Amino acid sequence: MLEIVYDVFARKNRGDRLSHIGYIDALDDETARVYAWKTYDEEKWFEMCVVPRSAIIQVNRVDGPFAKASGQAR
Amino acid sequence: MTDFLDLDTLNDEERSALRRLILTLADSKRLMGIRYSDWLLGAPSIEAGIAASSMCQDEWGHARLLYTMLRGLGIDLVEIEHGRAASEYASVGALDEPLPDWAALVAAMTLVDGAISVALRAFSNGSFEPARSRVPKMLAEEEYHVSLAAAWYRRLAESSEEARGLLRDATMGMLPSVLGWLGADDAPARAMVAAGVTEPGESLAQDFRDRHRELVGALGIDIDDVAVAEGWDEARARAPGSPDDEAIERARGDRNRALFVE
Repeated sequence: MLEIVYDVFARKNRGDRLSHIGYIDALDDETARVYAWKTYDEEKWFEMCVVPRSAIIQVNRVDGPFAKASGQAR
Repeated sequence: MTDFLDLDTLNDEERSALRRLILTLADSKRLMGIRYSDWLLGAPSIEAGIAASSMCQDEWGHARLLYTMLRGLGIDLVEIEHGRAASEYASVGALDEPLPDWAALVAAMTLVDGAISVALRAFSNGSFEPARSRVPKMLAEEEYHVSLAAAWYRRLAESSEEARGLLRDATMGMLPSVLGWLGADDAPARAMVAAGVTEPGESLAQDFRDRHRELVGALGIDIDDVAVAEGWDEARARAPGSPDDEAIERARGDRNRALFVE
């Protein structure tokens, strides 16, 4: 089954910066939510969100981890 | 509801019925954890395996909390957790055998874990104070199980004929025992309803059907037409049968007896 790359962002406390903490491969948005929460459970996160890598728009570079925003890049 | 159940006022039949209710929930959680644990490795993706691992831990944590609720009834938890034979386990029959493929795991995650949550929701709304205070957190954790289960169930239901067939077989294999387990309407079940501890079995079964009708309908299954499993073991609130011995040896921790610290 085709999986989609999602980047995972989280903050430990209210007011902290939202940080990129990793990525997961998932079937869809719903499985991405669960996989992210279950995979990156080393902290008691105040907030976590996932973003399909394909939704990230590159601003100043054409290389780097987010540049190949086709949904398959890592 | 503000009036909690006073255990000192319960007669022998009511105490036995409460013990049975807690045990069938706790044992089902423990077996659900065992079945998740079989898929920590070998899941379709690393993320799915990690999720299975996490859900396994959730189930065992929930089981432990539920077992501790028996203390108020003066029951020896070491004997309950580590001393019973497979034939004494009150877990739902759909968990009696290892799940042979990922489709079966998805079916169990959806239907069995879902049914346990339906029963727990009613328990958490009832008059038994430990359930009212401890079960809501379990149900919050279970929301992730429900989300993952539904997403995987839909995905497999829209997948190849082979996947659909495996999922359908697993679903049809589990539904009768799940519906029978939820819909218990014998004297102990009615005693717990009368005491305000839980809701009538028919209400629970209907709640379960309502929550899963659309999902299993994707496979052409009419959940309102599924017959309940035949036979009933009143002592354990489940259909006749028992989990496989290997699973119970793991549940009891037979290989680690020398390390017990309880």
